[in-house]
Amino acid sequence: MRETRQNAPHGSARPLFRLSSAPRLAVVLLLAVLSGLAGCGHAPPAVGVTRRAYLSKRAMRFDADPLETRFRQHMFGSREAADGGYGEPGGGCGCN
Amino acid sequence: MRLQLRRAPRRRDLVLVLLAGAATAVPARAGEHDHVTVRGAYYREASTRVVQPVVEVGKDLPYGFDLTATYLLDAITSASVAAGTTADSIFTELRNEVGLRAGWTPRWGRLTLAYRYSAESDYWSHGVAASALWRLWGDTATVGVAAGASFDGAWPRTRTPNCPTAMQLICRMRSYFGGANYTQIWSETFITQLAAEIGYIDGFQASLYRAVPNLGYEVVPSTRLRGAVTPRAAYYVPRTQTGFQLQYRYYRDDWSIGAHMVEGRVYQTVARDFEIRASYRYYAQTPADFWCDWMARPDCYGPSATVYTADPKLQHVSTSMPELKVTWDAVRWRGVPIFGWVAEGTFEASYARLFQNTSFGDAHLLQLGYTLPY
Repeated sequence: MRETRQNAPHGSARPLFRLSSAPRLAVVLLLAVLSGLAGCGHAPPAVGVTRRAYLSKRAMRFDADPLETRFRQHMFGSREAADGGYGEPGGGCGCN
Repeated sequence: MRLQLRRAPRRRDLVLVLLAGAATAVPARAGEHDHVTVRGAYYREASTRVVQPVVEVGKDLPYGFDLTATYLLDAITSASVAAGTTADSIFTELRNEVGLRAGWTPRWGRLTLAYRYSAESDYWSHGVAASALWRLWGDTATVGVAAGASFDGAWPRTRTPNCPTAMQLICRMRSYFGGANYTQIWSETFITQLAAEIGYIDGFQASLYRAVPNLGYEVVPSTRLRGAVTPRAAYYVPRTQTGFQLQYRYYRDDWSIGAHMVEGRVYQTVARDFEIRASYRYYAQTPADFWCDWMARPDCYGPSATVYTADPKLQHVSTSMPELKVTWDAVRWRGVPIFGWVAEGTFEASYARLFQNTSFGDAHLLQLGYTLPY
């Protein structure tokens, strides 16, 4: 299916990788995670449980409202092409 | 949960443990999942309106287990020409979704299993997912992994579909996704997270109804490999009771779509029970390599084209969305007889304006919610 795209005009974007090199994407992502882990592999600062009151604030929680997050994923998934791999159901109404 | 715990200050240590767990994405001990949440969202743009009520009920079980059930309804008043359909369809499209999530929170972290079923008149989807999370470094960091799969089917109301496999009346799609994240607490006011996700889709990914003139219903590649990396950071200023969140997401797939998203949030506590959140999100993407603007250049897809689309979201897209949200813990109503148990909950309301460069046009988004711990 992929090679048939040469029949279609290309957009302005130049692909950074092709399907044959797609596994590179997985490698890049893996390296990104590993580098993040490596950077955090030192002894962490001690933050005892009695000093975590600020960490309990909504401002300090990345998923303080999962239902809101889920709605946004579905909304942006129908309006933007980079909704990610959340397994969001599509729709036959034109939302796909 | 916070309200219950405020009423029991002698449990403060337990509160801190519970909330610290939440801060590191590790749900805490008994009681954390006991809640009922009712939410409603209203989305309106030029020719599409969506109303989405949601109900979620969570319950803690013995031995660290918990269950959460969710029901969601999408009521779409019109599929739109802006979405690429050949005509506005004046009908009410309903999508029902139910979800069930089971969790287990041992001392070392958390495990979850989730199932979701979504159905509408011409589309169904089954999804399963599992995740695991470990606490590290004296409970100052977590590592999480997640994986899942989705199995979808679509069948059009008014035509025989162009499924990838001939003679199929139901166009099927399978998607698989996985992800990992690392969260690190650096101090009592600073926390960061790095997340990565990857997904693979195989099957029918077009719309059932969008068509390109002279070519017919759109045809897009049947496979898609996508990935994204998302760093996040949060910082809190105790003196002013102000919190800041910043996240960036880089996305790439093998349709040559690359996207950047950045979002900043400012949280301000105005009173003991009142908080305001102001946020701004910006998103930009490159077009798919098989996209062409057939509306501006009707002949841009040649007669021999085998891949063609009318999907506006596969072109160059940029959106921005400022949003304002208020959250109010109804503690001031405690003791007022007519409010009763309502005073134990938390209200939230938000309004956002979504600016889009595509034919969808700009949109309004209003959300209301109420969560009652029990």
